[in-house]
Amino acid sequence: MLKFILKRILQFIPVFLGVTLILFVLQNVVPGDPIQLIAGEKKLDPQTEVNLRAAYHLIETDDNGAPIYDENGKTIETPLWKRYIQYIVGLFHGDLGRSYQQNGKPVANILAEKYPYTVRLAIVAIIIESIIGIAAGMISAIKRYSAWDVGVTLVTSTLVAMPAFWFGMLQQLFWGVFLKSVTDGGFYLPISGAGGPHAEFEGWVYYILPALTLAAVSTAYTARIMRSQLLEVLNQDYIRTARAKGLSRKAVIWRHALKNALIPVVTYIGLDFGGMLAGAILTETVFNWPGVGFETYRAITQRDWPIVMGSVTVIVIVVMIINLVVDVSYAFLDPRIRLGSSKSE
Amino acid sequence: MKTRPSRTLWGDAWSRLKRNKLAIIGAIWILLMILVALTADLWVPQTLGSPTEADSTVMKSMSRLPPSLEHPFGTDTLGRDVLCRVIYGARISLAVGVLATAISTLIGLVAGALAAYNGGWWDTIIMRTADIFLAFPYTLFVIAMLAVIGPGIQNVFIAIGILGWPSIARVFRSAILSVKENDYVDAARAMGASNARIITRHIFPNSVASVVVYATMNIGGAILTESALSFLGMGVVPPDPSWGIMIQDGQTYLATEPWLMIMPGIAILTTVLAFTLLGDGLRDALDVKMKDA
Amino acid sequence: MSLNMNRRSFLQGGLAASALAALAGCKKTDGAAQGGSEATMAAAGGNVLKFYISNPVAIDPYNTQETQGTQVEHALFDALCGFDWDKQEVVPKAAEKWEPNADATEFTFHLVKGAKFHNGDPVDAASFKRGWERICDSTMPEPSVIAYHLDPVKGAKEMSEGKAKELTGVEVVDDYTLKVTLTAPMADFPYVCAHPALAPVPQAAIDDPNSFLTAPIGNGPFKMDGSWVADQYINLVRNDDYYGEKAKIDGIYFSIQKDPETAFREFEAGNIDFVDVPTGRMAEIEGKYGLSEDGYTVTPGKQALTGPEAGVYYLLLNQNDETLKDPVIRQAISLAINRQNIIDTLFEGTRVAADCIFPRVIDEDPSNAWEFCKYDKEAAIKLLDEKYPADANGKRGIKITLSYNSDGGHGDLMSIVQSDLEAVGIDVTQDSLEWAAYLKAMGDGTYQVARLGWNADYPTMDNFLYPIFLSTSENNYSKYNNPEVDKGLAEARQITDEAKRKAKYREINAMVGKDMPVVPIMFYSHMQVGSDKLKSFYYDAQTKGDFAKAEM
Repeated sequence: MLKFILKRILQFIPVFLGVTLILFVLQNVVPGDPIQLIAGEKKLDPQTEVNLRAAYHLIETDDNGAPIYDENGKTIETPLWKRYIQYIVGLFHGDLGRSYQQNGKPVANILAEKYPYTVRLAIVAIIIESIIGIAAGMISAIKRYSAWDVGVTLVTSTLVAMPAFWFGMLQQLFWGVFLKSVTDGGFYLPISGAGGPHAEFEGWVYYILPALTLAAVSTAYTARIMRSQLLEVLNQDYIRTARAKGLSRKAVIWRHALKNALIPVVTYIGLDFGGMLAGAILTETVFNWPGVGFETYRAITQRDWPIVMGSVTVIVIVVMIINLVVDVSYAFLDPRIRLGSSKSE
Repeated sequence: MKTRPSRTLWGDAWSRLKRNKLAIIGAIWILLMILVALTADLWVPQTLGSPTEADSTVMKSMSRLPPSLEHPFGTDTLGRDVLCRVIYGARISLAVGVLATAISTLIGLVAGALAAYNGGWWDTIIMRTADIFLAFPYTLFVIAMLAVIGPGIQNVFIAIGILGWPSIARVFRSAILSVKENDYVDAARAMGASNARIITRHIFPNSVASVVVYATMNIGGAILTESALSFLGMGVVPPDPSWGIMIQDGQTYLATEPWLMIMPGIAILTTVLAFTLLGDGLRDALDVKMKDA
Repeated sequence: MSLNMNRRSFLQGGLAASALAALAGCKKTDGAAQGGSEATMAAAGGNVLKFYISNPVAIDPYNTQETQGTQVEHALFDALCGFDWDKQEVVPKAAEKWEPNADATEFTFHLVKGAKFHNGDPVDAASFKRGWERICDSTMPEPSVIAYHLDPVKGAKEMSEGKAKELTGVEVVDDYTLKVTLTAPMADFPYVCAHPALAPVPQAAIDDPNSFLTAPIGNGPFKMDGSWVADQYINLVRNDDYYGEKAKIDGIYFSIQKDPETAFREFEAGNIDFVDVPTGRMAEIEGKYGLSEDGYTVTPGKQALTGPEAGVYYLLLNQNDETLKDPVIRQAISLAINRQNIIDTLFEGTRVAADCIFPRVIDEDPSNAWEFCKYDKEAAIKLLDEKYPADANGKRGIKITLSYNSDGGHGDLMSIVQSDLEAVGIDVTQDSLEWAAYLKAMGDGTYQVARLGWNADYPTMDNFLYPIFLSTSENNYSKYNNPEVDKGLAEARQITDEAKRKAKYREINAMVGKDMPVVPIMFYSHMQVGSDKLKSFYYDAQTKGDFAKAEM
């Protein structure tokens, strides 16, 4: 097992370097200069620009951080490879660099502020997804071909085909606008933001709509996987044997089938959680949610590359860890995997 | 039977597909959309007006009218007919869906074939590159890509297309690997057939089923991605009527004129749903095993 | 502390899905839910003004560079002086009086005695010097981008180049006297000192710069309650130890929203008191909430603001471009554009058609109008006919590319400009560039015609001429070079007599107007609305709210 984990971690290193390298190259071929962007339409004066470049290590500086000039009085640009190495070295010291646009705020601090919102939203969404998804999948498998089954299939297909941002807006329309008008302001939900000192609602109320939106597509997939897995397990020999031995259908499902059918479902939910921790750009945008997805998106549009680099780095690491945990626990839960993997080695 | 596997495969598949009502509904809806999108120039401007140009002399009185007989989906802020824009939006969505998928499929097929057939270093390098692409959070990657090459419809399908190849490469690679083990490939090789011949005549037809299924579903995904990009203002450039842009425009008037965002959303939903249903149907008909998620 | 609160609110969140039915009971009754913190005590008074901003870049005065950060910063800090829009003059703030020397190269400011920072430190001359030095200090972790404000001050350039450790032009004569020496005469310098960013800072800004970034300690009528919570809010409470007239409201809650549309929905839900009106809804808002009498003050029933702002939207004509070198073409372009149609169609008539470079609130003199800065299609055609006769299709062989940034909602305006120009026989292609690429094109001068919005740093005529038209100015994007104008600008800055100085600037405006290096399109106006909870709230032409005098 340890060997399996080590192998996965080793496999991850080239992927990680590849991802950061691609981003690094991308930011260099993008038209426009992040330092010039800081001032917007009003142009920076040349000295300020040089000072900023020095502060961000985009040009060569002496030990005091003052820019070094060549014989023509021009500053010397730090080559890309050197900045990449500086970035990787900084990474090992927990230094993700500083934002171009947010007054030089350390990227690590920005992510530390944003990540809790993404994590909490993801947890609420996963809870919704697990409960509703598994329940719906079970019902439609057990009552196969019933109206329930058809209904679940239709709803899940529809959810999967919807743009997440549009579904979010529909919910805003229903819970925030429509209910408010029909109950004359008696009952409705907040449609954006994450609460705060003068907010209208208690903080947790703000999680409901974004979490439902975030969970929608995943809930549909969970239900589908649950349904197909349960049907598959119910068709297997040992279940038939158990039934033949006189166990009730209910007992078979709860005691035997469910346990085995759940393994792939839990795996999916685990991987999905990793995906959610990558930040939900669209959901966060629609609901004005201060999470890491929206932050990264905004950073891309503002050419704030240190934030983009930092958050993608963190996202990739987080997703990798979650995938590893899922794989390892999957291997524990399902011995066949372990055998399979050792055989192929 | 093994020498001509493709005919029976596709023949059987078609008869199975015909029996799948949902898949047929999906296929009909897609054909209808294509028909409407292709013929739009012939009848839409005469009845519903231009999807992009606005007349400043009557703009104020035409702005954001509710749905009526004359304007079944209402009008937008600049007084343009929403139905007309939804119809022209279908062109953009379908074009992006099909072209982006074509690009992904082409790259994916070549990469997958090279990896599977040559094995060794080819396989390692190609599949590791695929891993790197897949390790990126997808939406972020597309957005970053568009930030580099700039917005616009061509760039949208280039970005979606280029970033979509790794999944197809994986699907095709594993399909080839499983076919490669089959006896008839060994037989062909023993008879001295060239690599190219083995790939085009034997391996390709037998691996392509899974790619067809995957590509059909991928079209729906590409349409969703395009709408998201345009919604974020990084995709199709106004005044072109992308559904995503229309939803974005309508967001401002969510509380007062909700049809502005509802109608284009329904268009996306039905189109993507149609591709999913057709894809599901094809999968069952071609008996392709797809991994979930 | 705040992390704990977040965790608690999440644990409650876990119950959310099952507790949907109980929701109606969960609405807060304005701050009564929790006790303890200063914020909620203030909220209990109910006199907190909730103000929409987008996430600022900085609220620490050394680097407040855009309107959103300035909005917060000027509630926290008082600079030496302020600008009174009613009186149209610079008025005392932290300095009770000041006097220039004869040629306007030296200014002596006398500070109000007994003023204190929010932490109790005295506001003395040294604190001003400290604050200004941070602005030009090149060794700050993030060097300030607004050091240009201090360009006129002696020693500022040396300091921002890293050659000096001290701002030599600022001299602490005694605790309450500050002497500023300039490199060149500038009679308008007190206007510069009215910029909110040129504020004093206590020693704490040097000792603990990181917390100063998110919770600055100022000398203004309001003080921070907690720190700035990025993308969510900045909470301010009244400073009861303020040296001047104390604020009437209990606090300001800056609600950070990502876009005006979201903010406006919150306004409609009653959660924000003052927001921007989204495009296309001004007419509806005017009808629903009533139009403010002076355009700047919100009072119940008269809540929609449309007052003119100190900003101008114009087209840049690249002076190095072969086609645009011909003044006839520049004049014809200007004459061909129907400015009023743009304003009526896209801005619901709220803005004002530009006829020169000075917004109305900067200078109203009717003689400012440029001869060719108006809509006269026939005149444009007549001008062009002599040199560029139209062919059978009405084309004159003049080709123009119209560049603009794709993200600012300029597409509609540019399409109207295009159709106006094509109506007089000029061929136009649009080139919509992504923001970063657009800035680069403007900076490199690789465009023909581009657009720009210019908002005043200081409400002076100088600020609409010097940075835009001086041949060596960074912001002279049209590469305009007229030695007469350069000379005039230097002269004007030396004139200490206000009326004479203004006359000189009008003269320069007329000179520029003959050359037309730019085509002014329109002057900006407010498009904001306040709630009926605001008894009186003034929002000035530079888009700063007067929170100190606000009543609720």
